[in-house]
Amino acid sequence: MLTRLSRFGPAFQQLLSNPPARFVSQSKPSSGAGSTAVTELHPAGQTAGHGEVSQYVKNPDYHGFSSDPVVDEWNMRVGFFFGISVALVIGGTFIHYLPDHGMRQWARREAERLIEQREKEGLPLIEENYFDPNKIVLPTAGEA
Amino acid sequence: MLMVLTPTLMLVPTIWATPAKWLWPSALLHSLLIALASFTWFKNTAETGWAFLTPHMATDPLSSPLLVLTCWLLPLMILASQNHLSSEPLNRQRMYITLLTSLQIFLIMAFGATEMIMFYVMFEATLIPTLFLITRWGNQAERLNAGTYFLFYTLAGSLPLLVALLILQNNTGTLSLLTLPFSNPLLLLTCSDKMWWAGCLLAFLVKMPLYGVHLWLPKAHVEAPIAGSMILAAVLLKLGGYGMMRMLIMLESLTNELSYPFIIFALWGVIMTGSICLRQTDLKSLIAYSSVSHMGLVVGGILIQTPWGFTGALILMIAHGLTSSALFCLANTNYERTHTRTMVLARGLQMALPLMTAWWFIAALANLALPPLPNLMGELMIISSLLNWSWWTLALTGAGTLITAAYSLYMFIMTQRGPLPMHMITLDPSHSREHLLIALHLLPLILLILKPELVWGWAA
Repeated sequence: MLTRLSRFGPAFQQLLSNPPARFVSQSKPSSGAGSTAVTELHPAGQTAGHGEVSQYVKNPDYHGFSSDPVVDEWNMRVGFFFGISVALVIGGTFIHYLPDHGMRQWARREAERLIEQREKEGLPLIEENYFDPNKIVLPTAGEA
Repeated sequence: MLMVLTPTLMLVPTIWATPAKWLWPSALLHSLLIALASFTWFKNTAETGWAFLTPHMATDPLSSPLLVLTCWLLPLMILASQNHLSSEPLNRQRMYITLLTSLQIFLIMAFGATEMIMFYVMFEATLIPTLFLITRWGNQAERLNAGTYFLFYTLAGSLPLLVALLILQNNTGTLSLLTLPFSNPLLLLTCSDKMWWAGCLLAFLVKMPLYGVHLWLPKAHVEAPIAGSMILAAVLLKLGGYGMMRMLIMLESLTNELSYPFIIFALWGVIMTGSICLRQTDLKSLIAYSSVSHMGLVVGGILIQTPWGFTGALILMIAHGLTSSALFCLANTNYERTHTRTMVLARGLQMALPLMTAWWFIAALANLALPPLPNLMGELMIISSLLNWSWWTLALTGAGTLITAAYSLYMFIMTQRGPLPMHMITLDPSHSREHLLIALHLLPLILLILKPELVWGWAA
């Protein structure tokens, strides 16, 4: 089984086959001692403490989704296809081709068009007054 | 709006009716399709103002990025939770996904609300599923305390908000976001007006969180299960920022002076929480304090009330949402293998899981705001607008940037570099699911470099 697991890379296998250099040998720790001083290596295929068996033992093609290999495979396909191909690629293309966001390109074109038009007619590029002076109603001198 | 809301509502019966074998693939499929549909909210052809308008809900350039982020996050949460829930009874798994879906429903209605009371009700409603997630599915005994802190900090802040909103309704006759910006400016002169101002903002400051009322965040983020941490960091914090940006329109005249201490609190918080990150032993706690730090910068940007401040705040909110969620997912991949969050116990992982190291690297770089990622663009705009307000803030924001870089690199080096500890002898290789999960966080972040106008808001 070690050979099968070895395709995950040399580092993984080295962890299992090479005993650690700093192997502390001492008397069996009392029940209160923590597990930081490792006196026994657990055999491969069991993680310490929980008795869990790695999913890769039963299903070497485990993708992380389900212990049933068929569901695992389909879940992986659904996730990658709809996540990457549909959402990111098709969704990204949709977003890329969205029209002029916030009308910025329109604003630029309109500004250039107006400037050209006003220069041609000799008008000033922009009115001096922000508000139309005829629309401002001021109180006469007699009123408070 | 209904095109996304109705499928999300119907996802709940789907979850309960799907046979057990296909529950998770089906939930993932449907939530990805809903996320695809939510991209239509990015279409914003008006210069300003509301799109997708219905009598009760609408989107505008401020809320559409947050809405899309919310819808994008549900499939990611489903992907992240699949493994640690696999040993639970089926109905509890269904309940979990239902809680996540209900969070999405409330969040869509909150960000899309056109009326402040609806926003308030949805803002409060998001507390309930999150509380369930933290207290039922958290992993340590501290989760009960965390749930209490989370609930009561937020409630204490938001009850004054309710009173403030009712006062506003009484005075102006409406709380519709469509018309409130055009109402006459309020004359805010008396001391009780200042209380009203504080009441309007306190809920959002607690939610963001502002340094000083941030204590709920490390507890809640750390004790929550992965989906809880993701939704908290990515979206629920942004509810505070969004609420503040909406309310500040009404609070115009007072904010110029009253915001002073809060900006200082926020900037001081950037430094303080950044420094706390450098001292953390717990990985999730480090990421949680990093969230407080980034959100402090966002609070500063919002309270400055300039166009660049608002834009920077929104960009940073979206970028931080994706980055922080990615970091929590990465921390969870560690936790599922080693069952510890202590960094010294799970380090040197580059030796064992080199592909994950690539993702850790990109996420850490995003966290420290590497250009050209949107994290930097947001931070830079906020720092510039703060500088315009006062030169002295540069000392705080500059130091904050430095400390952010320091703790992001510290986190990367601690978890990935160095010798692999001797007690880690069997680590499962990285699952395709985990690679997909992180990719779906970071690829949109990178794609945002190409079209930043999606997250600019109406201000820039």
